[in-house]
This record gives sequence, C-alpha cells and structure tokens, in this order.
Amino acid sequence: MHPFTLDRPRDLAAALALRAQAGRNDAPAEYIAGGTDMVQLLQEYVRQPERLVSLAGLLDNRIEIGPQGLRLGVAATMAEVAADPAVVEQFPLISEALLNSASPQVRNQATMGGNLLQRTRCPYFRDVGYAACNKRAPGSGCAAIGGENRWHAVLGTSDDCIATNPSDLAVALVALDAAVEIRGAGGSRSLPLVDFHRLPAATPHIETVLEPGEVIAAITVPASSAARRSHYLKVRDRASFEFAVVSAAVALEMDGARIRQARIALGGVGTKPWRVPRVEAALAGASLEPQSLRQAAALAAENAHGRGHNDFKIELMQRAIVRAVEIAGARA
Amino acid sequence: MSWVGSRVKRVEDPALLKGEGRFVDDIHLPGMLLAAVVRSPFAHARIAGIDASAALAIPGVHAVVTHADLPEAFRQPLPLLVPNPAIRYPVMQHVLAKDAVHFVGEAIALVLADDRYIAEDGVDLVVVDYEPLPAASDFRKAAAAGAPAAHAGRADNIAAEFAVGYGEADQAFARAAHIFKEELFQHRGAAHPMECRAMLAHQDTLTGTLTIWANTQAPHQLRDVYCRMTGAADDRVRVIAPNTGGGFGSKVQTYPEHIATAAAALLTKLPVKYIEDRREHFLSTHQERDQLWTVEIAVDGDGKVLGVRGSLMHDSGAYLPWGVITPFISATTMPGPYVIPAYRMKVTCVFTNKVATTPVRGAGRPQAAFAMERLMDRVARELGLDPAEVRRRNYVPADRMPYAVGLTFRDGSPVVYDSGDYPACQQLALDRAGYDGFRAEQASVRAEGRYLGIGIGSYIEGTGLGPFEGATVQVTPGGQILARVGSSDQGQGHRTMFAQIVADRLGVGPDKVTVTVGDSGGVAYGIGTFASRVAVNAGSSAHVAAGKVREKAIKIASHLLEAAEEDLDLGDGRVFVKGVPAVGKTLGEIAAFANGMPGFSMPAGITVGLEDTSYFTPQRSTYANGCHVAVVEVDVETGGVKILRYVTAHDCGTIINTMMVEGQVAGGVVHGIGNALFEWMRYDDDGQPLTVNFGEYLLPLATETPCIEQAHMQTPTPLNPLGVKGAGEGGTIPAAAAIAGAIDDALRPFGVKITQVPVTPEYLLDLIHKKS
Repeated sequence: MHPFTLDRPRDLAAALALRAQAGRNDAPAEYIAGGTDMVQLLQEYVRQPERLVSLAGLLDNRIEIGPQGLRLGVAATMAEVAADPAVVEQFPLISEALLNSASPQVRNQATMGGNLLQRTRCPYFRDVGYAACNKRAPGSGCAAIGGENRWHAVLGTSDDCIATNPSDLAVALVALDAAVEIRGAGGSRSLPLVDFHRLPAATPHIETVLEPGEVIAAITVPASSAARRSHYLKVRDRASFEFAVVSAAVALEMDGARIRQARIALGGVGTKPWRVPRVEAALAGASLEPQSLRQAAALAAENAHGRGHNDFKIELMQRAIVRAVEIAGARA
Repeated sequence: MSWVGSRVKRVEDPALLKGEGRFVDDIHLPGMLLAAVVRSPFAHARIAGIDASAALAIPGVHAVVTHADLPEAFRQPLPLLVPNPAIRYPVMQHVLAKDAVHFVGEAIALVLADDRYIAEDGVDLVVVDYEPLPAASDFRKAAAAGAPAAHAGRADNIAAEFAVGYGEADQAFARAAHIFKEELFQHRGAAHPMECRAMLAHQDTLTGTLTIWANTQAPHQLRDVYCRMTGAADDRVRVIAPNTGGGFGSKVQTYPEHIATAAAALLTKLPVKYIEDRREHFLSTHQERDQLWTVEIAVDGDGKVLGVRGSLMHDSGAYLPWGVITPFISATTMPGPYVIPAYRMKVTCVFTNKVATTPVRGAGRPQAAFAMERLMDRVARELGLDPAEVRRRNYVPADRMPYAVGLTFRDGSPVVYDSGDYPACQQLALDRAGYDGFRAEQASVRAEGRYLGIGIGSYIEGTGLGPFEGATVQVTPGGQILARVGSSDQGQGHRTMFAQIVADRLGVGPDKVTVTVGDSGGVAYGIGTFASRVAVNAGSSAHVAAGKVREKAIKIASHLLEAAEEDLDLGDGRVFVKGVPAVGKTLGEIAAFANGMPGFSMPAGITVGLEDTSYFTPQRSTYANGCHVAVVEVDVETGGVKILRYVTAHDCGTIINTMMVEGQVAGGVVHGIGNALFEWMRYDDDGQPLTVNFGEYLLPLATETPCIEQAHMQTPTPLNPLGVKGAGEGGTIPAAAAIAGAIDDALRPFGVKITQVPVTPEYLLDLIHKKS
C-alpha cells in the first residue's frame, strides 16, 4: 500500500471540491466509502492515490418506498437494502441479487454506491505483476485477450479490454429500469443506470460517466408490476462469496400464460451490466414454452464474441435466461 | 475407565476461543524489527544488480539484506533433505537469490524497519535490475525437447526419472481379456492454512542462544537445517512453534525465509520478525499442483485385475526441497487396497519456473487414488458391472493380512499392509449411504430431468512413518505431571491426545497432565508433524514413557511402603497397597523422594527423577484404509455440481479421541472437495500466477460442504503399542475420486467420463456438449 493522506471532510460540498481539483485519470485523489473494494485495490497497489477522501457520514443512506417507486440512498449498505421489508416485498429481485453477492461481512460494510463503482475482478487488472492492463495502465495492452480469460466478457468487449463488470446489484437494477442521481459541485443530474457504465472501447480505464468531483447520491427504481414477478439467477463456481460466471436478472409482466413484457439483464458476460432488448422484444407475447424461450434467448448471443477460455459463456448465458424466465414465470 | 477412546474435549480450545492463543505474530520483543521481502516479479530472470540506497534513505529502515550482505555461511542454497539417486540435478534455492530468480515470488532481499509499513515502503524502493529469461510454465510443455530451460544452462527440464513396480506387467497385459487406458490430469492447488508463514528470530546476547519462533510443523528440522548450514551447535539454537493456524504440509518445510530471518537477526543484533501476507503465501509457499497420469489396466473377463502400468509426470517447480517424495508416494500408493498382481509405473519429475512443490495433505496419494479409482470405474462401465462389485472382486481380503504389495516405500521398507478389512469397510460405507436403494431414486429423479450420481473412493494410506518422535514424561515433587513432546501442533489437538495417553498410564484425569509441544528445547531430537505420523510415533513414545514412569513410581513406592511391587496399584495420582487404599504415596511424594535429599545416597536400583524419555521407532508404516461414497447432483445446463451426501467409513486402528478423529476426517474431506471442484492455482505461459487471492482461488465454503456422515472401524495395528494408525489425511485421499465417480455416474446418459480434477463447469459443459 502506498502512503496516502486521508481527508475526512465535514460536508459533501467539501468532499466534492477536494475531488474536483484532481484530474479524471490516475487521480491523485479517490473517494472511499465502505472500502470493501477500495482497500483491496490499495493493498495490492492497483490504486495508488495520494489522497483518499472519505465519504463516511456525508451521503444519504435512507431506503424509501412510495407510489413512484424505490429510492435508495447511496450510502445504504448491501445488508440494509437486502433485508428491508419493503424491498423484499416489492423489489425481490434487488434483495435476491444482493443476497447472492459477497459475504455477510462484506454486505454489512459495502454501500450501494461502492457496489455500482466496484472494479472488475480481471486478475490481470488486480495484479500489478502484469504490466499489460489498459484499465489499470492506459496504453499498456490487454493480457487477458490472449491469456487466461475464462472469467471474462463476451459482450461489449473491445480490442483493448474484455473485463466484466462484477456487480450483481447493477444487473438487477438495470433490468428494473433504475436511474442514478448524480451530484456534483454544479448541481444534480439523473440518468438511466444502463447509461451510467461505459463500454471499454479504446478507453477502458474510464468506466462510468461520472465527472471528477461527482458522486452518486441515490438510486431510483420506478414502481412496476413486473418488479415482483422476477428472479435473479446466478451461475457461479461456488455457492457463496463468489462472483457470477453468468447471471440473469429477469422481471416479467404476465398476461395469463403469456409474457406481456420481459425485462432482462445479464451479468458476468458483459463489460457492463448488459440489458438484452432484442430478447425482451422476442419474448413479448410469447408463452413459457421452452422452445420459444430458447429462440428468444439465442438473440442474446448475436454479437457475443468469445476469446477461447470463455467461449462456454455464450451458450451458458442463453440457458441462464431460459431458466430465469421459467422460474420467474412460475412465480405467482 | 480408559481415557484413550473417549470424546475428551480439547484442552487447547478454551484459550483459542477466548482470543488467548499465542501465535508468532502475538510475540513482541523489545527493539524488534519487522521484515518485508523483496520478491521476484519474474518467473525466470538474471539479477544484474541491486540498488538499495533509496530504501535505506527512508527514516525507520534499518537495513536491506541481500545475498551479498549475508554472512558467508548463509550465502549457500538450503540442503536437499531427502536425497534420491533418481535426482539428476539437485538444485536448491538460495537463502536469498544469488544471481538469478526461478519463480515469481522468490525472495531476493529483506528490508528491516521499525514497522511493517515502513519495511514495505522500503521494498518498493529497492531497485533490482532484472534481465528476464524465457520461462518454463506448463510442465507438459516444459518436459518436451527444446522447451525453455527452467534453469539457464540446463539441456532439459527433467529433474528426476525413476520407475517403481513388481511382477511382469507386460506379460499380464499380453494375456488380458480387456485393457483400458486413461490419461488423467490432476491439479491439487496448495495447502492454504488460515495462518500464513510466520517467524521471529532473536539471538540472546547473554547466552548467545538463537531462538526462532516459527509456525513450523517441524521445529527440530528447522533447527537441524540451520545448524547444518552454519555449523552452530544444536544447543545454541532453539526453535519453538507456538499456536499455529494450520499447516497441512506447507509448514513442514524449512524455507529460505526462515534462514534469512535468522541471519538478519544476527546481522542487526536485534529481534527480527517476518509475517507472510496472503499474496506472498500464494507466490512463495510450496504447493502440490500438477500431475499427469497415463495409465492402463489389464483385467480378465470377470473384472479381476491382472496388472497396471503407466507413466506419471510431476510438476516439481523450480527447486527440489524434498526431492521426489511426492511423486514417489503417488507411484507407490497406486495399487491401493487392491490385489494388483503386476505393476509398473515410470515417473518423470519436471522443473518449471514456479514455486516448488512439496507434500500437501495426502501427499501425492489423492492423485494415486484418483487414478486407480478412475480405472476401477472404467472397468465397471466397460464390463457392465456395478462399481462396488468390481472393487469387491479386487480388494485385498482380510485373511491375506499382513499383505506384502511388492513395492518399497519412501522409507526404504517394504510396502506391507499390516491389518484391516477392506471389503467390510466398503460394506459399512455402502450400507450407511443406502447404496442399494440409490438406483431407484436415481431413476425416478432422472424422469424429472435431474441427474443424480453415486461414486465410490477406496484408499489405503501409509501412515506413521518413522524414524521416531520423542516424549518426556515427568512428575514433579508438587505432583504436577508434565509431558514434553517434540512434535508441533497446528490445531489438531495434540496436547489433548497426549494428555489422554499419559493419563491412562498414570491413573489420573487428562486435566492433570500438562503437555508442552513443539519446542526443540523440550525434547532433544525430533522429526515433525506430517505423514499422519504424530499419534503413531509421538503418541507411542508418550505411552511408553508414561509406562516407565508408572513402573518407577511403583518401584519407589515399594521401597517407601516396604511392600512388594505386585501388591501395589496406581490410581487417582497415588500408589497404594491393593485392598488397603489408605496406605500409599502420592506421585508427588514419590517424585520428591526420587529427586533426592542433599547428602543422602540414592537407594540401590533407584535412578534419579520420576521421569522417562522415550523415542518410539516404528519398524515400518502402518496402513490405514477407508471407503468414501459421494452422492452428487449435476446441473447439465450450467455444469454445476452439488454434493448431496458424503459418507466415509475408515479404519485408523485404535481411536484415541473420536471427536478429534471426526474433525480430522471432515476437514480432510473438505480439502478433497476443494481438489475435486474448486481449487486451481493458475499460471500463464510466462509462469505468472493468476490466482493470488481467495476471490480467484476458490476454497470450498460451508455452502459447498454437506454433512460428512462418518462410520468408524477399529482394527488395531500390531506395529505400535497403542494400535493406532494415522487419521489426518485419509479424509482427503479418496474424495476427488469419489466425487468424480459420482459425476460420471450422474452423466451416464451422456456417456461422459471425467479425466481431470478440479472439475470446472466449463469442463463439464464441454464434455456434455461433445457427447450430445
């Protein structure tokens, strides 16, 4: 761990100002909230900030549900949100995704904002023993593309990066049309979560649309009848404390035995939480017959591109969609 | 009543549960320096130079120690402790890298500072000028002609070659009704104890004695290696292993870091502590890793084995600290519990630019069990027989005990299975698992599209290897009963076990026996805690020593009470006259007499002190055995495997403490589950390790661990006075074999055959895809 100065500003405005002074990349200042990811990155020298700006106590941690939907203060912990009775009742997909993430200890500490901003598990990114990682050291290359890439993405990749976004929560939220409220020195703005993470393209080190000095203030999820008939299916190597190999978040509005509308997002396969509108469109009006589900799910693979070790994910994600839709569809 | 055989609660636990355990990192000495290690980022490189000036300029950094800075006696490689004529090139690691590094993580320099933070800052500023060299990574490629040399200047990477066997294998194959061949890739990862390596060295300026506190499984070995390298006398060096958080083989080894830390203490004349972090553990603590087995089995028309032959390739890593022990054990364990009339196995050990491989729990036996059990399953499948029946037809029958296999074990003694009833042990496991009823359940759930399977893993384990372990039992005039045992404990509960053994001999409760373990100053000679050998060796020594103390107590009491020895008995801490319990002497009173009075001569025939030291020396290994049954469900769409049931039946001879044996077996099985499904230490083609934290290297957790249902058999061995056999590794040995068999069985509709562990989801999906 490199030495750093820990700033504990008294209010959010001061925190924003501290961070805004710094540039966008190789920032000499970084935010820390729950710290479950940041501390690992610091310990392994992946991030080497000069200053750490603590957001502890500066951000909203309330969980509010109203007729418009759900609003999650960004400082709410994973455990608090997962156990909130209203979330469990009205947005079970979110609770399921959270409970399938990390460990109880981590969930007690990690925040909503940190979860959305956690860095990839790509081992080349996380080990400074590797020189080549465009995400960690822009322009240095990508060791994963020709290396051990069974963990990596098959959707949204570029020639510069194939790392996945590891969040389960984000997958569920993207499926539910969630938005993020962003606050900066100049005020607030809101945008759909699906537009929050960027594709790697030629700049994989820039992972979100956050500008320097901006923070996520809250996550909002619109009320929807689909939110209850849902399932978060997580396929992983180990049944707890492990990231997804492939995951599928599915929310359905049914019309009798037919699907009126499906919302589906995938994890573990994309460089960002991956919504699959073509699959959703094919499922609109479809029955829950395996054949029609398979046909629709196949559309998820249209632009998928394996790199060898991760080729299996292309088939696996289609199966995950089918199963998650079946399970959600069978729910009352 | 007898304490041996009772479920005595562990005397170790109250302190550990209350946070009062004392591990190496809990020891703080005045003036102590903390060390951090400069480690190679390259798998293979020449070192052209080292510049430590920037690190030395940091306030709080006291010294940077490189190879060139070491006293001359330390500027050498560590000794090869277990030589073998098969070794072509006995290359060993230097205390600190001399002019080249051969794996990522090899220690190059120690930075010594007031605290670990400063020391790590110092590590960042030590500039090492590397000239990278091509690296040998995958051992299969490294074995081929023309591969990059793991050690520059060598023509090839073959570290050792040898063959073991007996009988006429080729003739057996020539007359066989059926021959089946398999190529099996097996990866075993590493040990991963909870506590990483830890050491603290301090030379007392008053006495000159160097004390090393280390969480080692072999304190005497560490002392002996140090003395051998430096010429120090045994009594100038003391190694103490305090509370230790697991070892599983990885802490048997004397590591370069141990010697370097001691050298740093001598150089600075200050205590020096080094605590390994987890990333370093992934890089620099020995692993067991890769083996490739190409094996054939010859059977007659009834599935009776006529012979087994093949070759085994083993990834040795960059150095040979324990020679060829692991693959040697693998090759000599392959025949397992079966009558194999002819056997031949050729072994090739390959250098790679990765950390060395040395035994991890099971020590090459899990791979042997996997290879043999996969062949048994193959025979069953090809001949249309039940896998349990094929094994039954081939087990060594109980009436052939002792059974000489025809092989020579690693200690040079013949492999002789001393006792046990293998068919009965299998039956016990099958009955407990409800084997006969399983097929109906399997068929009914398959109709629902679910795939359940059952698998069997049988094994034998040579345990209790010699040469000896020592124990001293002493009674003080205050009546305290002390037992000092040389071997060290890593959480197994050795102190409880020894207390039970001594208590039985001296007629007291185990709570009256104070046991000290893991101190080279407590017992003069010692070997170490590995090879499931402590109960057999040290347990027997404690038993013998306590028995001698008992005899002596009765002899002295006979003198004091003027009663014949045969008229005396011992119980409740006293020697008394049979039938007249009020007339007697306490053990403390007897000890006070044995310790003498100033100016008075000892009575004739009575030696000083109520104590005895014994070194039990077994004539050869005693063989434990067992049979595991796993029931799994395979998700054919995701490749996920869930273990639904896991049943063990095993025979470790006399059980000293059933509760602790059950803990050992359950822990061993979990280790095996990791090997079967999860643990994979991955390296890229340049020898760079990829899985250097527990996020990427997966250990099984509670969610992957079913209830381990255990059944016990007790066939005492005639080879030691307690009748005990080792129990620490048997849980691991057949686990991967049983789970792989169960997966195969579940996927019979697809005709899938598992030939690799760990079994990953993508591997399974690929097998299913190819067959469907």
